[in-house]
Amino acid sequence: MIAVLGLVIGVVVGLVVQPGIPAGLVPYLPIAIVAALDAVFGGIRAMLDGIFDDKVFVVSFLSNVVVAGLIVFLGDQLGVGSQLSTGVVVVLGIRIFSNAAAIRRHVFRA
Amino acid sequence: MSLLTNVMEHALDDGYADAARSRGQYGTSRMPGTLRGKLFLGGGLLLAALVLTVGAVQVRASAPVAAQERQELIARVGTAQANADQVQQEIDKDRAQLKRLQQQAKADGAGDGGSTAQLQQLQLVTGVGAAYGPGIRLVLDDAVSAGTDGGDNPRTAAGFSDTGRVRDRDVQLVVNALWQSGAEGVAINGQRLTALSAIRAAGDAILVDNHPLVLPYTVDAIGGSGMESGFQQNVDGGVYLEQLKADYAIRYSISSEDRVDLPAAARSGLQYATPSGRGGATP
Repeated sequence: MIAVLGLVIGVVVGLVVQPGIPAGLVPYLPIAIVAALDAVFGGIRAMLDGIFDDKVFVVSFLSNVVVAGLIVFLGDQLGVGSQLSTGVVVVLGIRIFSNAAAIRRHVFRA
Repeated sequence: MSLLTNVMEHALDDGYADAARSRGQYGTSRMPGTLRGKLFLGGGLLLAALVLTVGAVQVRASAPVAAQERQELIARVGTAQANADQVQQEIDKDRAQLKRLQQQAKADGAGDGGSTAQLQQLQLVTGVGAAYGPGIRLVLDDAVSAGTDGGDNPRTAAGFSDTGRVRDRDVQLVVNALWQSGAEGVAINGQRLTALSAIRAAGDAILVDNHPLVLPYTVDAIGGSGMESGFQQNVDGGVYLEQLKADYAIRYSISSEDRVDLPAAARSGLQYATPSGRGGATP
């Protein structure tokens, strides 16, 4: 119940408040989204595996977003920002795909 | 490949398994039971939903703006091109009319040989008429190392880092040196220079009277035998070019020509200036 409430509140706050992203953070938003998706899919899979842990979920979500942003920031400072963000997207993308596959196996038994 | 395999096999955070094992609930912990756990989960989902929504809002907000700006730019380019076409047509029409009137005037004043000769002389001096004579040909080119268009990464190119390129300033100095050395007419890549000509830059391209030049830059000048040596010793001429060659490997060559043909200048006629009276010096 509280989880669903949190989900709904998050969407509503994002739509209603429309917080302005500082211009300096705009390049990191897509990476943050991919990292967030990775954490969410990981959480769902853990739930279906029966090993879900709320603390791990929240901490992994926050750290993924921060670390992905830091890697891209570092890459930008070194002049290889686009390459490093490609790397981050590839790694997180693979994780999202294999987690989604695991979820599919749980749900459809196939 | 081991990296990719590692990523594929450990798609799930190992922390989940560790935490479940340490609580002794491996395989049975589906949803958090305590209120604190539920709050944690709710807060995490709130953050995730917030990030996703903000991202979506951001993309949707910026996409129409970019498309709109692009459309406006396209419209402006189209308008400017149409304007340019129209002006060009007017110029062609006026030029044809001018030619007709000149021929008419010539025919009218056939008996008065003096004015026709004077007109030709004036055209020669102002550059409005084509001319030929002995002179020199100067060919300027970028250094071999200078990059071609589009090869530079705009993120890393620092604007003026490409020092092997001939700049508009170089061409201006060289042309000034030619005038100082006694040139009676100058043309760059077939563009005759007049008193009203402008040599300037747009990005990396050099424009003469708003016509972009193509490499190599060929400067033709009509002048007497003393012009070449005068140019070679001019600080803004031969000395400057030698310096450019030594410092930046810019290529140039000067050759003496028996006959240099200069075309007529494209620009003709003044729109606003009118003669202020008689008694001006006749050429």
